[in-house]
Amino acid sequence: MTEERIATTKVAGTWAWFFQRLSAVLLVILLGIHLYVAHFMDVGSHTGDEALITFEDVSIRLDQLIYIAVDYSMLAMVLLHGLNGFRTVLFDFDMFAKRKKVVDRGLWVLGIGTLLWGIVILFPFLSGG
Amino acid sequence: MKIGSLKWLFGKNSEFWPTNMKTGMWAWVGHRLTGLALVAYVFLHLSFLSTASVGSGDFDSLMEVTSQPLFVAMDFLLVIVVIYHAMNGARVIMFDLGFGIRHQKLVFWICMAVAAVLIVGGLWAIWDLVFVPAGGA
Ligand code: HEM
Repeated sequence: MTEERIATTKVAGTWAWFFQRLSAVLLVILLGIHLYVAHFMDVGSHTGDEALITFEDVSIRLDQLIYIAVDYSMLAMVLLHGLNGFRTVLFDFDMFAKRKKVVDRGLWVLGIGTLLWGIVILFPFLSGG
Repeated sequence: MKIGSLKWLFGKNSEFWPTNMKTGMWAWVGHRLTGLALVAYVFLHLSFLSTASVGSGDFDSLMEVTSQPLFVAMDFLLVIVVIYHAMNGARVIMFDLGFGIRHQKLVFWICMAVAAVLIVGGLWAIWDLVFVPAGGA
């Protein structure tokens, strides 16, 4: 079994490798902002309970265009990086490496579908503030 | 896939059997497991946020639950997982750029030392939320 495995780098390709690194670097920056906002800017401060995040808290924050941009680009990067990484893992199994096209199509559908779902998810916060 | 064929993964002679793994292998296995856990978390996170589409009240009652100490403590696990993955990821990218690969073990432990500092910082940031009752601080 082990000997039959196909080298991942060959299956996954150079672009996948490149985007995995690019998205990783962007994620460090975006996650840094995200964690700072969540834990050091006291999002939940107006209820007096720091751990509690309310619908209103989120709506107020998302009144600023910059946070919408941060949230959406983080989602796009996390999906690109996460699913591209998952693709690498799948290709370490012959079963999936043999069906590259099917796996690729499936992951694109899952990724774009989830991105659209994630975009729509924020709408209530955007109109409710 | 046949169960028997998973021996390369779980068997005593497999390269993944704990005593057969060296530092670099542990680093990679850890990276892969944390990466997969994070992908699962993204979907959980989106499904929690989607309760707001049902109604702002639904979102708020879910957030009441997730602000309890137990859930904040689980958030901390997430922080550990992200920091490990990010620090080891930085190490991988460094090697790809041509730095440090000859000292991969040392670089791993340096990255883990930085990770430990960041994790302690994270613990400090959430300490009150887990160990001090709400409103009591
Ligand atoms: C915090 C910033 C992050 C950095 C610096 C980072 C870095 C990296 C790097 C460099 C790789 C490639 C490893 C290799 O080719 O050997 C990788 C793989 C991966 N990452 Fe991340 N990552 C980050 C966040 C995330 C997040 C948030 C997720 C989940 C959505 C994720 C999921 C994955 C997965 C599933 C893999 C594939 C693992 C494998 O091939 O074994 N990463 N990461």
